[in-house]
Amino acid sequence: MMDIVGKRAWYFLISGILIVVSVVSLAVFWFTPSIDFTGGTMLSMKFVNPVDYTAFTEKLSELGYGDAVIQVTGQTQFDIRTKETIPNQQVLVSTLSDTFGELVDAPDVYSLAPREGANTTRNAAIAVGISMLGMLLYVTYAFRKMPSSFRWGTCFVLALLHDILVTLGLFSLLGHFLGWEMDLMFITGILAIVGVSLDNTIVVFDRMRENQRNGVSPDFEVVVNRSQIETLGRSLNTSITILITCIALMLFVGGSIENFIIALVIGIVAGTFDSVFVAPGLLVVWDKGNWGGFFKKKAVTTEVQS
Amino acid sequence: MARRNTLILILITAIFALTVWVCFPLRSSVELTYQGTFPDGTSTEQKVLLVDEAVATMHERIEQQGIKNYDVEKLDGYYIHVSLSDYTDVDRARQLIGDVTNFKLAESSNSGEKFGRNLQLGLDLAGGVKLVYQVTFTDDITDQQAIMDRTILTIEKRIDRFGVTEPVIQQLGADLIMVQLPGFTDIESAKSLVEQAGYLEFREVEKDITGTLIYLKNYLATDVNSFFLSTETANRIVVNMDGTDANYGSLVCAISYDGTNLVFTDVNGNPVDKETLTDYGDMPAWIVARGNDGTALTGSLLSDAQTNISSSTSKPEVDIQWNDEGAVIFDQIAARLYNPAGEGGTYSLEYVLGIFLDNNLISAPQLLVAEYGGKGVISGGFTLAEAQELTNLLKSGSLPTPLNDPIEEGITSASLGAEFIDMSWKAGLIGLGLVMLFMTIYYRLPGFISSLALLFYGTLTLAVCKLWPVTLSLGSIGGIIVSMGIAVDANVLIFERMKEEFRAGRTLGAAIEAGFHRAWSAIWDSNMTTFIACIILYWLGSTAMHNAAVMGFAVTLFIGAIVSMFTAVLVTRTLLRSLNGTRLANISWLYTGTGGKKQ
Repeated sequence: MMDIVGKRAWYFLISGILIVVSVVSLAVFWFTPSIDFTGGTMLSMKFVNPVDYTAFTEKLSELGYGDAVIQVTGQTQFDIRTKETIPNQQVLVSTLSDTFGELVDAPDVYSLAPREGANTTRNAAIAVGISMLGMLLYVTYAFRKMPSSFRWGTCFVLALLHDILVTLGLFSLLGHFLGWEMDLMFITGILAIVGVSLDNTIVVFDRMRENQRNGVSPDFEVVVNRSQIETLGRSLNTSITILITCIALMLFVGGSIENFIIALVIGIVAGTFDSVFVAPGLLVVWDKGNWGGFFKKKAVTTEVQS
Repeated sequence: MARRNTLILILITAIFALTVWVCFPLRSSVELTYQGTFPDGTSTEQKVLLVDEAVATMHERIEQQGIKNYDVEKLDGYYIHVSLSDYTDVDRARQLIGDVTNFKLAESSNSGEKFGRNLQLGLDLAGGVKLVYQVTFTDDITDQQAIMDRTILTIEKRIDRFGVTEPVIQQLGADLIMVQLPGFTDIESAKSLVEQAGYLEFREVEKDITGTLIYLKNYLATDVNSFFLSTETANRIVVNMDGTDANYGSLVCAISYDGTNLVFTDVNGNPVDKETLTDYGDMPAWIVARGNDGTALTGSLLSDAQTNISSSTSKPEVDIQWNDEGAVIFDQIAARLYNPAGEGGTYSLEYVLGIFLDNNLISAPQLLVAEYGGKGVISGGFTLAEAQELTNLLKSGSLPTPLNDPIEEGITSASLGAEFIDMSWKAGLIGLGLVMLFMTIYYRLPGFISSLALLFYGTLTLAVCKLWPVTLSLGSIGGIIVSMGIAVDANVLIFERMKEEFRAGRTLGAAIEAGFHRAWSAIWDSNMTTFIACIILYWLGSTAMHNAAVMGFAVTLFIGAIVSMFTAVLVTRTLLRSLNGTRLANISWLYTGTGGKKQ
C-alpha cells in the first residue's frame, strides 16, 4: 500500500515553504490595489453621434487604457474611469474625437473618491475569521465521537487558513512581478476558496472517522493512510471538475474575471494538496505527540508498515 | 419500493419541467405587438408603405433611448412586433414607443417574467440607471466633506432598504454624487427612490420679541419687508393647517429674506404673488427650532425610530430616539416651548413643535413637559403603511441637505463591459458541458445520470434565483460556480463509494444503496460547514462589511448547496434506482472502468 502519511514531513516542508514565501511576500509586496479601492479620475465625454461601445473600448486599450472602466449612457455619453490621473488628457480627447467624431461639449474631468471603503479588506478578513471559528465549533461537534475531537476541528481550520494564506501570498508575489491588481474579483475568489477548500478536508476527515470507527487498525497512522488513499481519487476528480469550469470561464470570459479565476485555481490546488496530504498528517503528529522529530518518525512508520 | 420510485421519478420530471419553464427565457424582455388599423379604402401598396413608415418611427424612438438589444419585426397581416431585451417594465416600454399613426397595441407582455419576477442582474453585469446629483451647500456649512459623506451614506442606506443590491454611489469631485442603480430601466422610478423625501426637520411658530405669534397675514401686510424675529435668518414656511382640508399639512409658501425684501416662493421654488396667499392669512409662520447653540433640530440627530400602535388612540405612531446631541437640543427646545399646564392644558400654537418632512407638516404636537430625555413620539393620523414608511426613512437617516434634481440622468451600460453577460452565459454552459462530459467518461452510466442531475440542479438554482429574487452579480456568480462544484462533488463521493462496493462484489442495487448511505455523512458535514460559512458571510456582508458582493456570494452558495443536496440525494438516487432491474443493470462496463464484479 502506498504510504502517504509516512512522508508527511515532506508535505509539511512544502507547506512550510509555501507559507513562509506567502508571509514574506505579503509583508514585502502586499497588493497593488485596483480602481475599486483607490478612486481615481473620471473623464466624461459626450459625442455628437452614436459611438459603438466595442470599437470605443478597443480604441482605448490600444491607447493604453485597457484597465479603465468604461460605461456608456445612451449611445453618446462615455464615462472613462481610470486609477491614475490621465497625463495627456487633451491628447487623449482629441485622438478620440478624431476617431469617433465631434464632442458636444468640452469633456468633464472629475476626481473620483474610492468606491469601496478602506475597511473592505479588513472586514473580509474578519468575516473569514469568524466563519472559521464557526467551522471549528461545528467540526469539533461533528467529530465528537472521535477521541479529542477539538484537534479535528483545529486541523480543519488550519487547512482552510493555509489555503487562504497561500492564495493571498502567491497572488501577492506573482502580482508584484506580473502587475496584477487586487480588486473585488479577487476578494470574491478568496471567498470561493472558503467554500471549496472545506469540502475537500471534510471528505478526508469523514473517511478517517469511518475507518477509525470500523476499527481498521489500532494504529491511527495506518487508519489515516488508508483513508487518504481511498479518498485520493475523489479529491482529484472534484478538483479537476472545478478546474475545468475555471478554464472555461478563463477562455470565454477572460479579462475582467481573471483575478477571480487565478484566486480559485491557486486555492483549489493548494486546498487539494493540504486536505489530502497535510491536514491528516497534522492530526497524526498531534495524536502521536511528537512535534519535534518528524524525520525520525519516518523510520518508525516503516516498521509499522512492514 | 419500485412504485414509490416511479412516483418520485414523475415528481422530479414535473419539477424539472416547471423549473425549465420558470427559467426560460433567462433574461426578461418586453414584447409588444402592434396591429395596423387603416382608414377604409387604403390600398395594399399604401398599407405596406405605412407599415414601413411605422417601423422606421419605432426604430428611431428606441434608438434615441440608447437601447441596443431590441428587435422590430414586420409580421403578416400588417402587424409589427417589437422586442426589447433586458426591459422589465411593460408600461414604460409602451410609453417609450408612444403613439404610432395607424397602429394600435394589440398585445404586450414581459416574456422573462414568471410569477411576477424577473431574473435580476447587478450593475456590473447589466447596467442600470445613472444619476448625478450636485449638492448645494448653504453658507453656514463649514465642513463640506462631512455633508458629502453623510449624504452618500444616507442615499446608500436608503437604497439598501428598498432591496436594490449592489448600487454604486460615488463622490465625483467636490460636490457631485454619482448614483448607479442596477436593473432599473425606468429613470423616474430610480430618481424617486433616491430623492424620496426624508428631509425631516422640526419647527416652531415664530414669535416676535414681545412673544406674539406671527401669522402669514402679518407678513402679507404692505409695510412689512423684514422678518419679525430678526435673530432667526433662515426661511419661514407656511403650511395648510385647515384640518378639514385634504391638503392639510402641505406647503403654502416659503418666505425668505434677500437682504432688502421678503421673497415668497411656492413648492417648486418659484416666486408667488402675495395676492394669492390671502386665503391662508391665518396660518402661522414656522421657523426652524434650534438648540441654545443655534443647532437646528433635524432628522440627522435621530438615532432610531420604530412604528408602534398608540395605546391611547389605537392609531399608528412613530417612536423616535434622539442621539446624544439630539437629546440635549430637544430638551433645550422643550424647556422653552412646553405647555406649563401639561396634558390638561389648552392646545395652543405657542407650545407646538411642528414635525416637517420635506417642508410638509406631518404632525403638530404640543410639548407637554420640559424634559424628554431623548425620546419622542410622532403621531399624526398615519395609516400603518405610512407610519412604517416614515420609520424606514427616519431609520435610514434624513439627508443633511435637501437634494436637487440630478444634473445628469440616463441608462448606463454594465461596468464589466456590455458583452460580459453574454460571455458569462456561454462560459457557464461550456463549463457545464465539459463537467458533464468528464463525469460521463469517468463514471460511465452513473456519470451520465449525474449529468442529468446537474442539469436539474442548474435549472432549479436559476429558478430559485429568479423567484427569490436574487440579484445576480459577480459575487453571486462566484457562489453559483462553487455550488456547482459542490453538486458535482456530492455525486463523485457517491460514485466512488459505489465503485468500492462493486469491487467488494455487490450487485448494482446494493451498491447504489450502500454508496448513498456511506457517502451521506461526508455530504452532510461538508454542506453544514458550507452553510455556517454562508450564514456568517451573509450576516457580516449585511452588517459590518456592508458589501453586497459578499452577500450575493453567500446567498447563491447557500441556495446552491441546498439544491445540490436535494439533487444528489433525490434525483441521482431515484434515477439510478430506476435503472436497477432493467437490462442496463447487468452490463458492468457501464458502471466501472475496471469491470466491477469481474475483479
